[in-house]
Amino acid sequence: MKKNQPLAQQQSPADALIIGAGFAGLGTAIRLQQQGIRNITILERSDDVGGTWRDNQYPGAACDIPSNLYSFSFAQNPNWSRSFSGSREILEYIHHLVNHFNLRQYIRFNQNVSNLAWDQDKGLWQATTTNGDVFSGRTAVMAQGPLSNPGWPGIAGLDEFKGKKIHSAAWDHDYDLKGKRIAVIGTGASAIQIVPELAKCAGKLTVFQRTPPWIMPRPDFTTPDWNKTLFRKAPVSQTAVRKALYLAHESMALAVIWNSPLTRFAERLGRWHLRKQVPDRWLRRQLTPDYRLGCKRILVSNDYYPALQKPNTKLITWPIDRISENGIRTVEGIEHQFDCIVFATGFEVSNAGTPFPITGIGGRSLNEEWKRGAQAYKSINVSGYPNLFFTFGPNSGPGHNSALVYMESQMDYIVRSIRTIQSLKLKALDVRQSSQDDHNREIQSRLAKTNWNSGCQSWYLTEDGFNATMYPGFATQYAKQMSKLELKDYRLLAAEAESETV
Amino acid sequence: MAKIDLDKMLEKIKDTQWSLSDVDWDAPGAELITPEQWPKLKAFMADLMWIEHVGARAFAAMAKKAPDDTLRQIYTYFHAEEQRHANAEMALMKRWGMLEDGELPEPNNNLRLVIEWLDRFADDQPVYVLGTVVPMLEIALDGALCKFLLDTVDDPVCHQAFELINGDEARHLGVGFSVMEMQGHGKTYIELIRMTAQLMDPRLILGIASYFPLLNKMRDNIVEMGLPEEKLYEAMRKFEKIGGRTGDGRRNPWFQIIKHHGRFVVDRKKRFYHAPIDALVKVADVIPRKAFPEVPSWVKEITYQPTA
Ligand SMILES: Cc1cc2nc3c(=O)[nH]c(=O)nc-3n(C[C@H](O)[C@H](O)[C@H](O)COP(=O)(O)OP(=O)(O)OC[C@H]3O[C@@H](n4cnc5c(N)ncnc54)[C@H](O)[C@@H]3O)c2cc1C
Ligand SMILES: [Fe+2]
Ligand SMILES: [Fe+2]
Repeated sequence: MKKNQPLAQQQSPADALIIGAGFAGLGTAIRLQQQGIRNITILERSDDVGGTWRDNQYPGAACDIPSNLYSFSFAQNPNWSRSFSGSREILEYIHHLVNHFNLRQYIRFNQNVSNLAWDQDKGLWQATTTNGDVFSGRTAVMAQGPLSNPGWPGIAGLDEFKGKKIHSAAWDHDYDLKGKRIAVIGTGASAIQIVPELAKCAGKLTVFQRTPPWIMPRPDFTTPDWNKTLFRKAPVSQTAVRKALYLAHESMALAVIWNSPLTRFAERLGRWHLRKQVPDRWLRRQLTPDYRLGCKRILVSNDYYPALQKPNTKLITWPIDRISENGIRTVEGIEHQFDCIVFATGFEVSNAGTPFPITGIGGRSLNEEWKRGAQAYKSINVSGYPNLFFTFGPNSGPGHNSALVYMESQMDYIVRSIRTIQSLKLKALDVRQSSQDDHNREIQSRLAKTNWNSGCQSWYLTEDGFNATMYPGFATQYAKQMSKLELKDYRLLAAEAESETV
Repeated sequence: MAKIDLDKMLEKIKDTQWSLSDVDWDAPGAELITPEQWPKLKAFMADLMWIEHVGARAFAAMAKKAPDDTLRQIYTYFHAEEQRHANAEMALMKRWGMLEDGELPEPNNNLRLVIEWLDRFADDQPVYVLGTVVPMLEIALDGALCKFLLDTVDDPVCHQAFELINGDEARHLGVGFSVMEMQGHGKTYIELIRMTAQLMDPRLILGIASYFPLLNKMRDNIVEMGLPEEKLYEAMRKFEKIGGRTGDGRRNPWFQIIKHHGRFVVDRKKRFYHAPIDALVKVADVIPRKAFPEVPSWVKEITYQPTA
């Protein structure tokens, strides 16, 4: 890749209008660029790149997937310092990608998209931002992130609290936690990383749990120098390790996605981990999940359980009644008082609706169509919304493998489609409703047999229990699904003629 | 009482929460406790508070076994609410100078046995065993002990606290009897056989061995405090009346067992029942403290302090 390309022309309309400068938006730009498509605009609401890894800088933030697998196959990094990298190191890797591939030229920072509409006459997507600016593109890519909008819990009195409130995904690094009385609400992926760190500095730390997660031991270690040298000198060795990690995670699908003997085995492993780390019977009972493993996200940690048993830390499982001026009132009648409440309460997931209005052919509204659960064709296109591509669209979520593996399949699908639009001089590439319906019928019947649909509540499901989030299968199967652009599943509209071709 | 809508009940429970800081524990009135009342009241309150706490643990077990999510949530709330009752009753004891700073009242030996049993075996019990025993204990408490307490004690803060507690208890009983009826619905001969088989479970027999003496012990306590024991029996008969008001309720085999047991308890002439059980109470009384294992850690969660 040449470092100093001439600044992209940035003519309007762009060939690709990308919303979001996280892994997905940036990766798509890299892949387009590698195919010679440079008229790209990336709209990013923040003032920097990085998405998830820019926002989630809470103490202890790290990846749950080994770094060798949580990176792009076309831009491997021999220098990962740990098997599971911290948030900062991943952010550095993203900055490295941006510099190396010279992506900054495409990005419009501080542009928060609030509306996206298809102009059928011009064959263009128009994105309006909260500044009032309008950007247009012949194609558009939704790379706004599956988990990018902090979610706050529906607890009464949230605004009454007089102390400090911090959301895990918007950490305030200027606030000094030392010696403070701190509450953590939530026991999901972020919380179990935050708690061990806060336990080191808090005067008093109280963790409020509603549902205990399944937690597996984490095989974390620092990368020895000889290993980094080997990866640098012989990249094949790193590719081999990556392949091995990929297959190891693929096999976990058997435990995570479907109820199999491996699920039992993993549950036993989780219980063993708990027994080994928590001697007290009652605390162990409080921490034992009563739903099938895999139904919600499985977590990994070696230091969460020990942190809960430190003298300054306490786990509370009483239901929360309300938040008051000075703290949190729980149903056993006690007001637990704090200087600071940390909300590790996750994200708003748009599995029923869109994050901002999206208008397709003839003024149809995607938000309306997705009210009862989002649906797409192969997670990436929606009928009636031509030339629009979703990263992490409906039913593309990985439960057992690196998100980036799924993302790469999506990016390649998008690049292939945009090239097809260009080479066939199409005005619109619109998936057929019937193909979309066929795809969803199959996906939903496969989902019915998975652990996610086995009866617990999770962010994977809509309020009605519809699973619009997860992909029911191996990453390899997903990659296969995305490997071919089946033009017969699409309506093709030529640019010159107003008539439908094919 | 018609069958209640459990979803609506859950909403109501969430909407009617209170906390210890809603009561002014230093308000005047503590001096209304007479010196001769004081020692008996102390013993009574200690037992009462422990029964609440034990009831809390039973609800915790029921939450694990609840047949659906609504009931699981309801039992999770009830678990916490019983804990709140224990906390509030401890706050009253503290107010009346019955507790040193940080002191936890000693549970009597019968209670220690019940605590042991709950800690070891409650989580393994089918939900309808506890689902029948708990309403029985609750009605005995609600109908007899609390009413009696309010008849004898003039302290307005005590009345204020028990008004809040009784508000909760009314909902506990409503759910309790409703669930008993649900479980009686469509019960057959086969279920009866299966249930008899469960009776043979040694863990359950142990539970029975600690529950029966507890009732006799409470009877003794009440008599000691000057309450006619007839009051307790009246309350227990109420269990029979409400629990058996519908066919479904009567078909619940566990209701039948507990009901019959209740009849034994209230009839002192049933010597073949009372002689051995009273003996058990006595036996329990002489078990040396050292013989009990360390109390489980959930027991240490109670507090008389409204804020933490
Ligand atoms: C705490 C945490 C830990 C995670 N750990 C793992 C893990 O261990 N393994 C794994 O595989 N995955 C993990 N994930 C999932 C992670 O989200 C994905 O792996 C990946 O980072 C998603 O990249 P993205 O580019 O799709 O989205 P993001 O990284 O979220 O990027 C989206 C970008 O779009 C911008 N944006 C959003 N809305 C708008 C708008 N309206 N207008 C303009 N810009 C907008 C955002 O500011 C952001 O920069 C984790 C997620 C979180 C939150
Ligand atoms: Fe109670
Ligand atoms: Fe009760």
